[in-house]
Amino acid sequence: MKITINGTECAATTGANVLQTARDNGLYIPSLCYYPRSGTAGKCRACVAEVDGMRGLQTTCTTLVTEGMNVRTDTAKAVAAQKLVIDLQLSAGEHDCLSCQKNGDCELQTAAHFLGIKKPSYLMDSVRREGERDRDTSSESIIFDASKCVKCGRCVDACNKVVMHEVLGFGQRGHDVHVIFDDGLPMGESSCVRCGECVQVCPTGALIPQAAEGVARSWELKKTRTICVYCGVGCNIDVVTKGNKILYGLGSQENWQDLPNQGSLCVKGRFGLDFVNSPDRLTTPLIRKDGQLVEASWEEAMAAAAAGLQKVLDKDGAGAIGCLSSAKCSNEENYAMMRFARGVLKTNNIDHCARLCHASTVAGLAATLGSGAMTNSMQEAIKSDVILITGSNTTWNHPVFGGMIKKAVKENGVKLIVVDPREIDLAKVADIHIRQKGGSDVAWLMAMQKIIVDNGWHNQAFIDTRCEGWDAYYQSLQAYTPEVVTEITGIAEADLYAMAKLYATGGRASIYFSMGITQSTHGVDNVKAISNLALITGNLGIEGGGINPLRGQSNVQGACDMGALPNVFSGYQSVGEVRVREKYAKAWGIDAASMDPENGLPVTLMIDQAGEQIKALYIMGENPMMADPNLRHAKEQLQKLDFIVVQDIFLTETAQLADVVLPAASFAEKLGTFVNTERRVQIGRPVIDPLPGARQDYDIIADLATRFGAVNFPATPLDLFNEMRMVTPSYRGMTYARLDKVGLRWPCPTEDHPGTPILHKERFTRGLGLLSPLDYRPAMELPCTDYPLLLSTGRLLEHYHTGSMSRRSYTLNTMVPDGEVEIHPDDAAKLGIDHGAMVHVETRRGKVKTRANVTTRVDKGALFMAFHFAEASANQLTNDALDPIAKIPEFKVCAARLEAIV
Amino acid sequence: MTFQNTEKLFTLAIAREIEANDFYDKAAKTSANASVRAIFAELAGDELSHMELLERLRADPTLPMKMHKPAVDYKVAEEVELPALSIDMKPADAVALAMKTEQRAMAFYTDMAAQCADAELKRIFLNLADMEAGHKCRLEAVFVDIGFPETF
Repeated sequence: MKITINGTECAATTGANVLQTARDNGLYIPSLCYYPRSGTAGKCRACVAEVDGMRGLQTTCTTLVTEGMNVRTDTAKAVAAQKLVIDLQLSAGEHDCLSCQKNGDCELQTAAHFLGIKKPSYLMDSVRREGERDRDTSSESIIFDASKCVKCGRCVDACNKVVMHEVLGFGQRGHDVHVIFDDGLPMGESSCVRCGECVQVCPTGALIPQAAEGVARSWELKKTRTICVYCGVGCNIDVVTKGNKILYGLGSQENWQDLPNQGSLCVKGRFGLDFVNSPDRLTTPLIRKDGQLVEASWEEAMAAAAAGLQKVLDKDGAGAIGCLSSAKCSNEENYAMMRFARGVLKTNNIDHCARLCHASTVAGLAATLGSGAMTNSMQEAIKSDVILITGSNTTWNHPVFGGMIKKAVKENGVKLIVVDPREIDLAKVADIHIRQKGGSDVAWLMAMQKIIVDNGWHNQAFIDTRCEGWDAYYQSLQAYTPEVVTEITGIAEADLYAMAKLYATGGRASIYFSMGITQSTHGVDNVKAISNLALITGNLGIEGGGINPLRGQSNVQGACDMGALPNVFSGYQSVGEVRVREKYAKAWGIDAASMDPENGLPVTLMIDQAGEQIKALYIMGENPMMADPNLRHAKEQLQKLDFIVVQDIFLTETAQLADVVLPAASFAEKLGTFVNTERRVQIGRPVIDPLPGARQDYDIIADLATRFGAVNFPATPLDLFNEMRMVTPSYRGMTYARLDKVGLRWPCPTEDHPGTPILHKERFTRGLGLLSPLDYRPAMELPCTDYPLLLSTGRLLEHYHTGSMSRRSYTLNTMVPDGEVEIHPDDAAKLGIDHGAMVHVETRRGKVKTRANVTTRVDKGALFMAFHFAEASANQLTNDALDPIAKIPEFKVCAARLEAIV
Repeated sequence: MTFQNTEKLFTLAIAREIEANDFYDKAAKTSANASVRAIFAELAGDELSHMELLERLRADPTLPMKMHKPAVDYKVAEEVELPALSIDMKPADAVALAMKTEQRAMAFYTDMAAQCADAELKRIFLNLADMEAGHKCRLEAVFVDIGFPETF
């Protein structure tokens, strides 16, 4: 439709407000309280206008457009009102623009300038409100200066209605109204999680990032859009830099409705990117000489890397070399590593950490549906009627998506079932929270299904037309009687019934899960049980439904897609098929007969085979010396190797064991594509130049390949991407130009194709969905007399994976500088352990010293540790027993004991 | 190849549908995979219904003929190699085979229309091409759904 604003004809959309329409058409109207992502406000009244046919002045942020509407914001009456509002705001605060960090980027300043207000007209005795604090610098990352606050409420709305943390509010009333944290605590002592959404929406200098203050004026800052390196949500970040230094991140606002993060960020994406500029960054190659790593030139290091690998190749053959690719590197780099392993070294021994997180997902879903990928998208959570989350502490591990779930529950009435042994944040907003015993997932999932079938809540038509295997499956359900299952899982029969009924009868139901389900010796069975549940209720192939494994790293999906796996090329094309090998050989200009036709070893077996079949490892951006289970065993195995090359951005625990260390560029220094958990391929862009001395991973691989005689090995992201897409049918339709705005979800087989948000709409890849009969098997190691507690491991909100990045971030490492073990108060009391006391945690594999966090977040008999902290590494303790099919270790369950250190 | 009248044209189109029905029918009987058998059986049925539609049009030339042309053509079939019919083919291969068949039929009618001087016959050929484009579009959606699995 068309409306007219100040005599200018403007294109408008039904449902839009006048203020947004003006902005969309390049017209300025003063405003303070309106922010698109937090919705209409109508508080500040700075945006008033006269509208034909309406009496009095209208706030344009709350007035919806109608066809032919005539709006004037420039009448004497409207301008006088606007001036009054802005003048009063200027008068009521300490808006000393010259010294304000927001100078040049302040919406109050812009409005005053637009309206010609030179200085405040009103003298006020005090701008300090009752109960209001002085400048609050108690947070590691955010400064709150109440004297610059205009009480617009954008931060309060953002905290409560966008990211759903519910920390910020307004205290007092009338003249004394002011923003408070919790019940008036300093920000740093409140429950604020430092997501920084309030900073992003603040129109003035009231909320600013610590990292920017005194460092740069607004006009000195540069914003560059890229993809966050933490977790699998794939948040689009406008990274704010000065020179070659990263200061902080802003959630990208352009096309925000269509982005995975919808404009929001978590603390890691907002304030945790400064690790890139850490003084610990590797910028000089290292070579081991006389047992010590010493600095070397790039030429020396590359020659040593090539010579070391060549020696193993000559002596033991290609099968003696393993390549570890990286879920933190781009698609292009993973493809390059895959091309190097298969096309240059001629080995299929290539894998990466997907083996340790979602191998069981893919094995399980490939067996039941034919494909292991996430079936739906995160944006669909709001379209579900019921969400079942299990084995995922979503607000910590996929924080922005966790906020979306909270929003779906609180604002859209979506019912939430959480099944998790810990009282995670989402449990607090769930309709049902069940705490199952660790390792009992097959039992409760099958028990739910028995209840559903016994009560006739299953979808018979879906089962009849789209599933097979009913008879054997139905027989196997009979073992899961309430008595048996309650004993195994600790879940009361009534609770099993309640969640079965809600999931099966509540409408469109989706399942989200993560490593609580997958990291188990029966991880594949767990996933099959989840698949059964979705199949018998017909919750697949529909919007708002599906089976949705949440991938943990920024490009773990992409590393898999690129064939950084022992049995498939890019696009999951089997190494065992002659025609596939021939296709790649042709693309790479090599002889297909020279390629390895047998599957290689997964990373877990590469480590086990170290010193035997495997003699050398080439490791890119992986840190098995922190990420693998039973680290003592992992270290012993790595020390058996003849040769290790590590390329990384830091001297990780693994790099410290290497013979050659090659300094790599970080995510913030590279161009390349990354795939988030929902199969969305997006472009990561360089936000700063590579640190002097560091080289791009793809450049290092191409150099190494050339030293092995490879000809024309692609050495730029674009060359790699273009070659990759021509041999990868699911990516063939993607180009950098098409990916530019909001990415594309694979499969995208042609340049005309729009990508595929929902899988399995009409059929499953295997034809019919397979209902799997399942026997319950307990975890390999359960509590006993000697080790009476059950230890589980995972991540914290403030840290990431092996800590190599997050522990080098000022904000993140200041917030949580040390690891700890969570223990229930009853258990702590029995053991005489006080909150905060130092304790030893011991399993059959090792013992670490850490601090006790006495909390009811864990259940009685259970312990929880994060695995980010090298000085008390949880993976010293974890069990390296593997799922027999997926070869994924049982990180989530082992027997442990605790003792106080006196 | 030129056509002098609509009856011959429809007879040709019907023969192609019969041929396709026969092919899918035989394929359904030879596949080892129950899902593939079901897909081929469904496709055979589809071809029969297409044949019946064309027969009605042949019998009564006054019937309005306006085939629905899909709004988009993602050209997926054009990117896929024709899989060989085999006893152990996968569901995605079965759909790909059908999709390629529809693509070829669409191309055939489009070519015929291009060679046709008679406006009415050209219109009918283009309608038949649209019909095949619709079939191709539907099969392409199924193929994209199942043809690119993540397995490792």
